[in-house]
Amino acid sequence: MTGTAESFGHDHAARNAGWEEALERDGLPEFVIHRLEEAAAGRGAWVATMTPAELLLARSHGIRPLATISGTCWFHYGWSWTQGHAQGWHEALDRLRREAVACGANAVVDVRMRTLRHRIASSMDYTLIGTAVRIDGLPPGKDPVIATVPALEFVRLLEADIVPVGIAVGASYDWLNRIGYGGYGNSPYYGGNGWQTTRQMRSWTNQPLHELTDFWERIRREAHADLRAAAGRQGNGVLAHTQFGQLIQREQDKQPPAYLGRHIVIGTVVDTRRAAGFPHEIEQVIDMRDDLSPLNRPNEPRHSGYEADVQDQEGDI
Amino acid sequence: MADTQPMPEHALARLAGLRREGHPDGVFTSDFSVNEFLLVRKAGFEPIGLCVGSCIYHVGFQFAGWSSSQELDVLSTAMYEARALAMERMREEAKQMGADGIVGVRLTVKRLEWDAKVLEFVAIGTGIVHAKGHPGFKGPNGEPFTSDLSGQDFWTLLQAGYRPLEMVMGSCVYHVARRGAFASMGTIGRNVELTNFSIALYEARELAMERMQLEATQAGAEGVVGANLHEGSHGWSTHVIEFFAIGTAVVPIEGDSHAEAIPDPKLVLSVNS
Repeated sequence: MTGTAESFGHDHAARNAGWEEALERDGLPEFVIHRLEEAAAGRGAWVATMTPAELLLARSHGIRPLATISGTCWFHYGWSWTQGHAQGWHEALDRLRREAVACGANAVVDVRMRTLRHRIASSMDYTLIGTAVRIDGLPPGKDPVIATVPALEFVRLLEADIVPVGIAVGASYDWLNRIGYGGYGNSPYYGGNGWQTTRQMRSWTNQPLHELTDFWERIRREAHADLRAAAGRQGNGVLAHTQFGQLIQREQDKQPPAYLGRHIVIGTVVDTRRAAGFPHEIEQVIDMRDDLSPLNRPNEPRHSGYEADVQDQEGDI
Repeated sequence: MADTQPMPEHALARLAGLRREGHPDGVFTSDFSVNEFLLVRKAGFEPIGLCVGSCIYHVGFQFAGWSSSQELDVLSTAMYEARALAMERMREEAKQMGADGIVGVRLTVKRLEWDAKVLEFVAIGTGIVHAKGHPGFKGPNGEPFTSDLSGQDFWTLLQAGYRPLEMVMGSCVYHVARRGAFASMGTIGRNVELTNFSIALYEARELAMERMQLEATQAGAEGVVGANLHEGSHGWSTHVIEFFAIGTAVVPIEGDSHAEAIPDPKLVLSVNS
């Protein structure tokens, strides 16, 4: 009997109580702290999500893996889906940071954002998993940086004087023309009352829907501004952003339909000196591997002979 | 750390939590990957912000006869104009940021589920600026240049002695005639070319290419890199196809035309894959 909870002498009730109490006071259960402290002191095995190639580069640059750590928050978005997402990620980030501090990490690398595809009652889980690392010559971190990049890229960024420091979330939503709601659609700026868009949609001729375009673009720009502000609290730049947006139409009685627009952007925050340059020479090479040849990549536009000829769903261009 | 690679002081200070000053130069946003960011910097540029433009467009109606092959110019115009509007809005945002240009532009078209005739066009890219304020990289008329080149491609293009000018495109939506029952009967059991279909596809592609090329010439470009032709059917009937040509128009960098100075790439075989 190895590998079961009993064989490790675990007491389910006590562990549950530990988690509950820890979440209550924004802390960590005793047994998690113990595991992390052991890892930090080098008494247990270190655990890293790194590949051997990443380990090689980490070692040659004085970076030592400690433990794989995580932060999870299952969050119900009650009053706003959009803001709920932002809050869920922020909570998960705080928890990840807590575990990182517990093992005295200077940084958490290879942080991945995960969610299960179980949408139970307007809720979703927000999980972050990463590898806590120490950097030789630095004291244990009080405020470790959270880097979404793998160790390989982490090292390369540091060499170029760029420090990936965290994750920033920007979110925005609004309604257009919703009865009894003070969104943009009802502000004097838009002037229209939805009839204009509705009339245009019934037309037989080409036309840009200005009202809807302006509304939608403003939501995106606000989400970007929110991202910029969130990034500014941690560093001075954002890389590798992902985004998700939806424009939803909702029918209303005897009125033109209302529109809900919501947009979320998430990016990696970096801290860098402006025009820091890049110390390495770049050599141009041609890789002789076959799988890089365009002739062997049938899914790409240049060689689509036996694919479905025409995509009729959404796609690039 | 004697036996390890040196790391910049600033990076170590930041990791030790010593430095958290305000940033006088402001905060940039981008959708660069790590390698893209490094190569844009290597090229002497700095990102300043994500630029986005969109256009929600109502596409008009056009009748095409059952047996006629013809361009549906109402749809061609719609597909071109909506993209151009989205691009223009993106370029406007870049201009307000003071960008020299936009790299990594992605154009997407999305059908909105609640109305088949309404399409959403989005153009998004990262605005960049020359770190030393070199004025020679702007696009036509001193506006920011646009390009769909990644950061890596941008660096390589500059190495090749060219700079991007603007994204050029051409659209042609074409109705391919259906064949009458009589014509179909005549080909039963024979391998034959359906010439009217060949001609329709040829013509539609030719028109899209011509339009893109004309746009590049008018912008004062020497050539177009990364040209690509997309075929798409945005919820139209099966005999309606859009041919869309897109690429980045380029011009030689002034005083930098020494082709023999470009190093020959080394041939390598990566063994770790």
